[in-house]
Amino acid sequence: MSRRTLIWAVVLTLAACTGTERRAPTTLTIAVGQLASSPVPTMTEGASANSDVANLLFLRLAELPPSYRTSGDSGFIPRLARSWERRDSVTLVFHLDPNARWQDGVPVSAQDVAFTIARARSVSPQMATLLTTIRSVEVEDSQTVAFHFSEAYPEQLYNATYHVPILPAHLLEGVGDHSEQQSAFVRQPVGSGPYRLAEVAPGDHLVLQAVEDFFLGRPTIDRVIFRLGSDPEARNNMLLTGQADAVQAIAPADAPRIAANPDLALYTVPGFGVGYLLFNQQDPNHLDRPHPILADPRVRSALVHALDRPRMLQAVYREFAYLPQGPAARLHWIVDTTETGVPFDTTVTTRLLTQAGWARRSDGTWSKGGHALSLTLNYPSTSRVRAQFAQLAQEQWRRVGIDVSLNGMEGALWIDRRTDRQFDIDFSSATMDPSPAGITQSWSCAGIGGSNVAGYCDPKVDSLLGLALTDAGNALAHYRAVLETIRADAAAAFLYSPSTIFGIHRRFENVTIVPYSYWLDVWRWTVRNGAGGGASQPADG
Amino acid sequence: MVRWLASRTAQAAATFVVAVVLMFFLMRLSPGDPLARLVGDRQVSAAELASLRTRFGLDQPLLGQFRAFVGGVAQGDLGASIAYYPTSVSELIVARLPATLLLGGTVLIINFTVGIVIGVWQARHRGSAGDRWLSIVSLTAFALPSFWLGLILAWLFGIHWRLLPAAGMTTPALDPGAGLLPRALDVARHLVLPAATLCIITIAVTIRHQRSAMIETLTADYVRTAQAKGLSERAVVWRHAWRNAMFPLLTLFGLWLPVLVTGSVFVESVFNWPGLGSLAAEAILNRDYPLVMGTALLVAGAVVAGTWVSDVLHVALDPRVRV
Repeated sequence: MSRRTLIWAVVLTLAACTGTERRAPTTLTIAVGQLASSPVPTMTEGASANSDVANLLFLRLAELPPSYRTSGDSGFIPRLARSWERRDSVTLVFHLDPNARWQDGVPVSAQDVAFTIARARSVSPQMATLLTTIRSVEVEDSQTVAFHFSEAYPEQLYNATYHVPILPAHLLEGVGDHSEQQSAFVRQPVGSGPYRLAEVAPGDHLVLQAVEDFFLGRPTIDRVIFRLGSDPEARNNMLLTGQADAVQAIAPADAPRIAANPDLALYTVPGFGVGYLLFNQQDPNHLDRPHPILADPRVRSALVHALDRPRMLQAVYREFAYLPQGPAARLHWIVDTTETGVPFDTTVTTRLLTQAGWARRSDGTWSKGGHALSLTLNYPSTSRVRAQFAQLAQEQWRRVGIDVSLNGMEGALWIDRRTDRQFDIDFSSATMDPSPAGITQSWSCAGIGGSNVAGYCDPKVDSLLGLALTDAGNALAHYRAVLETIRADAAAAFLYSPSTIFGIHRRFENVTIVPYSYWLDVWRWTVRNGAGGGASQPADG
Repeated sequence: MVRWLASRTAQAAATFVVAVVLMFFLMRLSPGDPLARLVGDRQVSAAELASLRTRFGLDQPLLGQFRAFVGGVAQGDLGASIAYYPTSVSELIVARLPATLLLGGTVLIINFTVGIVIGVWQARHRGSAGDRWLSIVSLTAFALPSFWLGLILAWLFGIHWRLLPAAGMTTPALDPGAGLLPRALDVARHLVLPAATLCIITIAVTIRHQRSAMIETLTADYVRTAQAKGLSERAVVWRHAWRNAMFPLLTLFGLWLPVLVTGSVFVESVFNWPGLGSLAAEAILNRDYPLVMGTALLVAGAVVAGTWVSDVLHVALDPRVRV
């Protein structure tokens, strides 16, 4: 045997041995501010922690397109449904993936889809509202299900797929709400997703285990651990000490500290949230009367022009937020990111207030009919971001003689005041669905008395919204006209649409974070060669 | 003695009931909707809010809610948490109690053993350089804010030197096959920093109490008599003087007992210790009425029980009080 042959033999033997070695299990530990308590669709309430986990356990029929465009049928990503077709303008037919299985081995069927929609409508009034346009769900055969809509509109596919992941009818049919069987299912859910719930340590952590025979491909990461860190500093410490591989919602001020660690990478993910100063157009003391100061659009516009919003945004969020020009977030497909919006111009403020009959006093403040231009801004003191913005706004208004007193209050009390419409200016923050249709709730005349707490009503906006919701071909133009009209009405000063900052260990590759459910694609992440394991090692290990 | 005990027990029970009733009504009379945090920024319909109110019994009048609460407590049912629905309050408390007992118990033991030894030593060496330095160091530690000290220790030992875990109580990704010893060691490693933080801050109180009580006792006639009899220094100090100097510590111990079950909100937050303190704070912030009342029952019970235990111990150990 020659020397070369011998070397090759050794190399091949070693390669063969390596190939038969068991792969070290890979673990992704995520430090989160809240731990899921009920990660089952239609059995969760509010907390995004629940839906973040639920979306790894249960699949939707399809996921949103990468553009997050909710209007039309194109670009959606097949999940439980392998394909779909439009039978007519009010009927969508889904063909389920024949390989899709529940984690107990039972195939996912059309009955599951019909059951889930019926259940969602019956247990959640919010779901009932969201699914109101679905007239019926018809099982055509075990793998085919037809959605019949009450009207033709562009968001049918979105409404049929987004709001509720599919549940197993064979395990939940006939099970009563709040029953023992339901509680047992919440403790040990059987889903169709890439992970199953393996362990729950309340108040500490929750472990998801990869499903070996997941029909869309085995997840590369074997275990995903959600670890509770109520305090942001504790979460950052977990990441920096290696006790966690990923942290969500890092404060902008903490981002440089995380970025300075060579093992960690920062990811910035734009979201669907918007923060704005909402001007009440009703008198808080007599809700049937107009607000004595803010009912005048010139005063509202003067207030908006007095704010240097880009500088405020930079001061609070640095580069981690987008300046919105209306009630739509950076990721909403209707947003024109080149739009510059209302400019900062205090001469316009002075001109508008003068036009509105306000006169400047010797001390620089404004008065009209013996009444001072004095307002109160309510905000939740628990939000550091809103407290910072409120102080900046107060100072900028003071410089042009507008007196605004700050009223920071405890969160629940702030919501009470807001709901009861007891405010002049409310520091609102809304996290919206990917669909811009949600604008209707807070910015249409019909929303007054409900989510439209400021009493804003412009028939032109209502008309444009009606067109945007039904006219697929021109929806973008109609929605943009809505945003422009709301901006022109100076219904609010739109201040920020924040991005969420994530710190993730660099050994993870192909990292994609989905803005509407951050960890949805984690099963497709990969781990750099030779970097198995995870945050399982002790801090000094 | 029996009559006194019965009367003291009845008094403790009455205090407990009044505290719980007051907490129930004050919590509900405070402004703010308990469903507000649950709903968050999400826009919800009036129908959904009404449905949620019915689920948690918030649509009932105040007295109806109180009756339901008392009825539930009588049956051992504290209801379901609003924020953690459908998990029951009892489940949440039971899940968090061991962590709190472990941290509180460790701190209590270290506090009362090390604190007593240092306090006695300082009393015996009153006015010495060591006494002065220990007083300065312990009072400085007492003046430190717990969250600040916690952050410093976490940074120093957890991040900078990487000697100890900076957060949590266990390593969730520990090998599932790990035995009892590795698991116990894992918990012990996690326990060091939060326990040290709490001990450093609170031990000064024990030391100060023990030092002053001991200084007073060491000047008593019976101590001088014991010394005159030729007893060893150790016997004089621990058998004669300390026995009489421990009574202020009994009161202190009674006051410490509630901390054993309630934990420390700040330290639990900084070190992400999964105890009851952070759970209670979160419940108050969320206006999670059932969870607030569940933890309040526990706190009120611990305070009342702590005072009762220290009173009874005082009477049992000190014949002068019985007189």
